[in-house]
Amino acid sequence: MDLIHPTLTHFLVLGAVLFGIGLYGALAKRNAIAILMGIEIMLNAVNITLVAFSFYNTVKPYSTFLTGQIFAIFIITVAAAEAAVALAMIISIYRKRSTVDVGEINLMKW
Amino acid sequence: MAFYQYSWTILFAPLLSFVVIIFGTRMWDLASRSRMAAGNGAIHVYDDAHALDHNTHGDDHADPGSDDDDDPQVPRLTTGARLSGYVAVVIMLLACIYSWLLLLDSTGALRISGYTLPYSGIDIFNYSWASASYLAPYEIRFHVDHLALAMMVVVTSVSLLVYFYSQGYMENSAGYARFFSYLSLFTFSMLVIVFAANFLVIFIGWELVGLSSYLLIGYWINKRAKPDEDRPQPATAAMQAFIVNRIGDVGFIIGIMILFWKTGTYNFAALSGTGPQSVQAHFAGNSALLTVAMILIFCGAIGKSAQVPLQIWLPNAMEGPTPVSALIHAATMVAAGVYMVARTFPLFVASGTTAFEVVAWIGAITALYAALVALTQTDFKRVLAYSTISQLGYMFVGLGVAGFYNPQGLGPGPGMFHLFTHAFFKALLFLGAGSVIHNLHHATHKEVQDMRKMGGLAAFMPITALTFLVATMTISGFPFFAGFYSKDTIIGLCLQSGSIALYVITLGTAGLTAFYMFRAYIVAFGGKGGKAFGLWGSREIYRGEGTPPESPLTMTIPLVLLAIASIFAGYWFGLFNYLSPTAHNISLNDLVSDPFTWLGVVVAAVGFACAWWLYGFVGLARVHDVVENNALLRFLHRLTNRKFYLDDLYYWLTKYIFLGIAHIAAAFDFSIIDGIVNGVAFAVTGLGKGLRHTETGKVQSYMYGIFGGIAALAIVVFVLMAFAQGGVKLW
Repeated sequence: MDLIHPTLTHFLVLGAVLFGIGLYGALAKRNAIAILMGIEIMLNAVNITLVAFSFYNTVKPYSTFLTGQIFAIFIITVAAAEAAVALAMIISIYRKRSTVDVGEINLMKW
Repeated sequence: MAFYQYSWTILFAPLLSFVVIIFGTRMWDLASRSRMAAGNGAIHVYDDAHALDHNTHGDDHADPGSDDDDDPQVPRLTTGARLSGYVAVVIMLLACIYSWLLLLDSTGALRISGYTLPYSGIDIFNYSWASASYLAPYEIRFHVDHLALAMMVVVTSVSLLVYFYSQGYMENSAGYARFFSYLSLFTFSMLVIVFAANFLVIFIGWELVGLSSYLLIGYWINKRAKPDEDRPQPATAAMQAFIVNRIGDVGFIIGIMILFWKTGTYNFAALSGTGPQSVQAHFAGNSALLTVAMILIFCGAIGKSAQVPLQIWLPNAMEGPTPVSALIHAATMVAAGVYMVARTFPLFVASGTTAFEVVAWIGAITALYAALVALTQTDFKRVLAYSTISQLGYMFVGLGVAGFYNPQGLGPGPGMFHLFTHAFFKALLFLGAGSVIHNLHHATHKEVQDMRKMGGLAAFMPITALTFLVATMTISGFPFFAGFYSKDTIIGLCLQSGSIALYVITLGTAGLTAFYMFRAYIVAFGGKGGKAFGLWGSREIYRGEGTPPESPLTMTIPLVLLAIASIFAGYWFGLFNYLSPTAHNISLNDLVSDPFTWLGVVVAAVGFACAWWLYGFVGLARVHDVVENNALLRFLHRLTNRKFYLDDLYYWLTKYIFLGIAHIAAAFDFSIIDGIVNGVAFAVTGLGKGLRHTETGKVQSYMYGIFGGIAALAIVVFVLMAFAQGGVKLW
């Protein structure tokens, strides 16, 4: 049987679906760690999109560059740092307030 | 030529003394006082503002600081203060000598320079202040011609004598050095007017004299108002003088602007030109506008020379020290209006006769009004103030009548002639009054200006009385005194011009002048029961307290000099021709052989006789009783004593109309203008108060905002792009 050759559209749809899933998690979950996971999914959805665009690019000379891939690597790096900071904050908040329910954390208001 | 070129030194001499006093001697004076206080270890700060117990000095002031013209707080002058006076006097003496030499040289009486000053004069100083290519440059330009020289001699001479006199008059007053610095500033300002070669400079001088007048009226900063004598606080009087003058100055500057708009120049010389550059040519087809401009310019003179309807400030300006009244509010500054009209005489001539008629009639109405008011004033200085207003009215009549009757044959001569003589005898009258006030202060320790508390003073101060009598005879127009020539020339001119109404007014005013001046003289210096049928006083009829002394020499010397000038200033018959090349001089023969001259003398003599009879024989108390017991006389007395209620009318207008408008404007400002500003702020605050509830503090709600917003934007962009491409093609 013929393998389905993935096209750009497939990747974009995958990226969009993943982004939607991540966004839903970030918005709907009450647990801070779950929100963090949602954000990670959104970042990886963007990574897929970037790499796909870069891979399927045929316009010279941009097609010879690895711009999208490098972007993705940067995003992975930043996401790692972000996860570390966010987890540290979540632990710190948990120590103070014994909860990681974001509905309870509403200090940043008038 | 160089002899005249250097006359700018006269202009800047008083400025020099001002600077020397302010930055030199006065600083030294203040510095030496604090050293003295520190050395004694006691608190003796002799400052301008003083508040020590006056009672220890036998003074019975109602409250401390209410009366500081003779201040026991300052027992003797410091060296620095004295030096300030000397600086001012010496510099002014040099300037005065130089200006007299210039005058004598230019008349040809004394040949020094061998140069004949042309009638058009010469420029002595020129500094281009600002220039734009399409406009005439704004020049600080000073100019000397015959008119300026005649006025300059008056200013420097009276200034010198008043400075000299002030050394005696002000010796016990706080702020002695400050007084001389202000006087110097005034003389400088006045000389700016005298030397001005264009409207710009004359306006600068005009405002500078207003400033120095303000400073000097309000010189006694701590003195209170005296409501029982109807006398305001000096600070208030100064404010009033300043503001009333500004009202006239608005007209003045608008007039200047109209002239500049049409002619493009400020220079008097350029404006007085003939031919295509003349004022008439610039205003061709619009001569009514030129007349309006000249009347507006005359408004400045109305304010400065205290003519009706802006006369109210001058009597109140008498709250200043008496030397100030003599120098500024009698001899020089108030005559600046007359000088300015004389200076712009060619422009008035160019504008036709209407403006001159306005000048003459304003002058005549003022002369009559002020003379009527002066009849019943009891304050010594106020009588003199109203007589000043009245005499200034005569000067304007002289200018106006000469202008509409025979401008080429007379020029500004008649008005300037009266200005010239009046400066001397009016300064003498005021300095005499100052001498009386000074000496009564020594006797009673109070500031006595009410004539009813004087009487018989000639026995105490004969020199003052005699010189005052000379000035009184001069102002009344006694034959062969200076006032006789200058005033009867104006009165005769009114008759010649054919304006019977003006003639009757000026003639009648001459009689009134003689009456009120001799009334003042007899009530103060003589009185019923005195020597020479009440004309000379005796000690028994003095109605005040104590024994007043005669003034010191610093005060009597200027009196005597001015008395000589008051007699002989009228003998400059060449003045008309000196001022205007086409004018004919007054002829003594014509004047003496004209029966109408003697009619004027008779009218003055009637006024004198009435005053003599009423106050020398009937007596002040009896006159008072008769007036009080007769309804008509009481009404008339009250009418003139209250200045025909003009002051009250102005007070009413200010209080209810102007302040009413001000209140309405303030209400508009507070409610509408501030309402808009505050309303906007209030609305924004309210909006913020409402909107802040959307800030829940929950991070997910913010996230909804962010992603919801992005989604909304994405939809908008998508829809717009779809429409831009002409339809929706999703795939």
